[in-house]
Amino acid sequence: MCLDERSKAMSTRLRDVAIQRLRSLGATTAEGSVRRLTVDIEVDGRVEMVTLSLRDDELQCVSSDGRIDGPHVLAALRFIAGAERRDESSPPGPAVSIVGRSREQVAPNDLAEALDDLLTAVTRVGVDKAQYAPSVDAALERVTDVAPQPTPPGLGRFIGRLQHEIRSGELRRVARILNGASQLAEALRADESTRESEQRLAAWLGAQPGSMPELELLYDRTMIEIGREWLSGTERASVERRYLIDTRSGNIYREDRRRNTAASLGPCPRQLHVGLAEVEAGPAPQRIRVLQYEVRPDVPLGSWDRVQQVASRNFATVTDGYRESVQAHPSLSEPFALIAPYRIESNGIFRAFDAEGHQLLLNRSERRGAVLAFYDLLAEGMEPSWVAGRLTDTGATVCLTPFAVGTRDRAYTRL
Amino acid sequence: MAHNPEADLDTLELCLRQGIAGNDYADPREELGCRADADDREVARALVRLVAASDLEQIGTQSINSEAARHPSVRPPTAVAADPSFLGRLSTSGAEGLSVERIDDLPTILAVLRAGSRRQRRAALERLRERLRDRRLLHTDAVRKAIQTITELRDVELGHELAQARAELPGTQGRQARHEHEHWKRLAQRTEGAIRAFWDGQSNAEPIQGLPGDQRALLLMRASELPDVVVHHISAIIEGNDGWVPLESRIGLISSLRYATDRRLVPALISVVEAERGELVARAARVLGSIDDARVHPALAERFERSFVNEERIALASALGMRGDCRGLTEVRSSLEEDQPQLLLMALEAMENLGSSENTGLVAKFLDHAEVAIATQAVRTAARIGDGRVLDELTAKHNATSVPALRAAIEDALSSIAARMELRGEEAATIDWSEVGNKPVSRKGARDSLPSIVFGWRDYFLGRVWLLLGRVNWANARFESAAGRRSDWAVPLIGIGMAFARREQYALALPAFRRAIELDRTRIERNPILVRAMAKSFLHRAEQVEREGRDDVARGLVGEVLTLDLRRAPGTVRFELKRKHDVLRREEQGDVHSAA
Repeated sequence: MCLDERSKAMSTRLRDVAIQRLRSLGATTAEGSVRRLTVDIEVDGRVEMVTLSLRDDELQCVSSDGRIDGPHVLAALRFIAGAERRDESSPPGPAVSIVGRSREQVAPNDLAEALDDLLTAVTRVGVDKAQYAPSVDAALERVTDVAPQPTPPGLGRFIGRLQHEIRSGELRRVARILNGASQLAEALRADESTRESEQRLAAWLGAQPGSMPELELLYDRTMIEIGREWLSGTERASVERRYLIDTRSGNIYREDRRRNTAASLGPCPRQLHVGLAEVEAGPAPQRIRVLQYEVRPDVPLGSWDRVQQVASRNFATVTDGYRESVQAHPSLSEPFALIAPYRIESNGIFRAFDAEGHQLLLNRSERRGAVLAFYDLLAEGMEPSWVAGRLTDTGATVCLTPFAVGTRDRAYTRL
Repeated sequence: MAHNPEADLDTLELCLRQGIAGNDYADPREELGCRADADDREVARALVRLVAASDLEQIGTQSINSEAARHPSVRPPTAVAADPSFLGRLSTSGAEGLSVERIDDLPTILAVLRAGSRRQRRAALERLRERLRDRRLLHTDAVRKAIQTITELRDVELGHELAQARAELPGTQGRQARHEHEHWKRLAQRTEGAIRAFWDGQSNAEPIQGLPGDQRALLLMRASELPDVVVHHISAIIEGNDGWVPLESRIGLISSLRYATDRRLVPALISVVEAERGELVARAARVLGSIDDARVHPALAERFERSFVNEERIALASALGMRGDCRGLTEVRSSLEEDQPQLLLMALEAMENLGSSENTGLVAKFLDHAEVAIATQAVRTAARIGDGRVLDELTAKHNATSVPALRAAIEDALSSIAARMELRGEEAATIDWSEVGNKPVSRKGARDSLPSIVFGWRDYFLGRVWLLLGRVNWANARFESAAGRRSDWAVPLIGIGMAFARREQYALALPAFRRAIELDRTRIERNPILVRAMAKSFLHRAEQVEREGRDDVARGLVGEVLTLDLRRAPGTVRFELKRKHDVLRREEQGDVHSAA
């Protein structure tokens, strides 16, 4: 028997033992069955993460270098087989509790390592296979495990966006989001912090201990909420995002409300008279915390006129702003725009033009129902005087995912 | 970190797509200009950096791909073939093909109004209104019959549309409907004022929550006529952004919107379907199912595909069924086959929108169910499916049952099935109404003597006089005396019940109504004024005891009144009674899911 055959035979035996071991755990453990195990294995000075999972009664093993029968996988199988013998003679111990770690307890390098592992795991298996890859799942879990608890909103949103883009197979957007994670890892490892790295850390992880968060205070502003949506984070629909426009400056802010937490009250649309608010420096749209406010559930017509007045009329500026924003925060930037088209074309394809002939079009891949409803309104003869929506890009073209539209006849329609 | 700035982007993208481990077509290290022994982590970082940088450079530089931006008109296909009959292919709108909008024949419109799906019935009613606006046709027999149908139709699901149609009718019916509309306008104005006060901080009581059930149902029945401020306020409650309304009331409000068709509510309801769980999702899906809007189907389908809670899935399947998407039929069938008590009512309701004649046997199994609510729902579902094979079974059931509500539902079902068979071109079912009619119970016992009749009427009229003078106790004493003089005489008891009901003393009205029902049920059931007062007394008393925390008593009251034939009671009262029965029943089963 040659060396290769011996190694294969041993691998098969070890797999059989590991399957039995995992099955027996599933059958006897009162706390729940084991479906996946992840272990860090060091062989010849190289550490790889090995994931063993039992799916449809078949054992799948993969190491973070993408191999399914490499030395790290064999070592992990030996470990499981050995653990079986040890466990058979030892009484069951108490379950290890996983306690959430506060921000101070988190070692920055752990998170940086975990982010790098995630980047490596995705690129090793490839975006096409990443959706079902146990190594990517394990790497994502590790990121959330080593992150401060509860998971900071920026990091949570990164995970939500990455999973969404992997599912939809958007290669370039996956690269962009992972590049942002890589930039965060660098910022976490940096010996000396710069203004840019501090801002990046604050956007991802919230205000850092010992650092002064960069906040702008707003007083006595009138803001109108023009759209809202649920966004995924570590879980589906974990953040409700509201888009508020300042009728004086035309700036658009986002107010994020985590599930089961409070934020400013009221429906969409609404008019807020903001007595005091804090605005964080960070990815577009900037995050706002409304501290003192009065709310009106109906928005006066004059305020809708003002919304139309502050809408962007130059789409080249919108595109440049989008590019700059994505460049600054590739993982977290989700710009929102309010545009006032000079003219529109809607014969089968919606195009909004500015006075100089620059175009914007609708994004069809998200909020499909809203896009369909928007087209139905166009078919009914609606002529939008303004359109509000989240900016995105498909095929290097900047597009708008519609949230709301205003016309001469009807000041506001939420989509 | 060294990397090759002139790397071929296509190759890099291939590496990223297929993975850098074991890529047979390209060597990422070579392409990126990394060392041959560079570890994967370094290669991965360089790879995403280059791809991302190139991507960012290209933003806004390429022309629009017109194919990619075309109208996303492709709608998800239905799981099973649609009903190929006339009714199955009849669309609600459109100038081409089979469409309700194109039907001119009044008898056909009336048949669709009795036998069609909810959307078809709504469209048929709209078409009927259009035809009735033509004053030249007013004196034809067909139009007279149409007016009579509109007047007599008691379809709760079409409450708003019926009210609009009646308001356009000439004569007493029209005047009464316009008067009701004025009443609604005043209610809406009061509510609007209270809502403004709520958001201004002048009041800490949420106004819609504070309304009695039938008033709330009345207000929300015409949701599409409500001003923006009221609809926005309702949206805030639906989404849980009002800061005041507890979860149960939020669920209650959403279920009160069940037959609302206002598109302004769609974003808030979709938000619930996307982000919440359990009963909230189920209730929101039911409302969305009947709203004609392009946003609804994608949201329902997306949630159905990822939902794993049975209650949600059945409600979503039903809502999808209303839009012609039958992907949930198998699941609903399984629920009925497995006879899961908690899902039975929902599954039968869902079958109304999903079922075909293949499911008749399965539904007919529940006609004999011990619980009246389930048996009644099975009758309604059988009516919507409209299979003629069930006619004999329904007739037999009608003659066997002593529950008035079930008899009433069967009578409606027989008409509906007959109309459906007619529209399908099948042999018209001839229903022998003498066999299935509501046969009056023969009175037994000796006839009253002439003096007892005379003195009975005297006491009754004196009671009426005392009532006019505001002496309720004296009036009641006279009514009791009148009732005691003659056996089986319900009139004085009805007088007592009405007197207390008008004074909102529902606890005192109930015993009188109960005695009157025992003596002469049909007199109450066939008189719209009496049946309204009686049903409202039961409803409001149930609300009172529910507020006191005695849910079991409330459940008993609602269950009791729902066994009667309430077809002549106002739609809003019937709707609210059914809604309350549903809520109390689910609370009894402990099936109210947390929406956390």
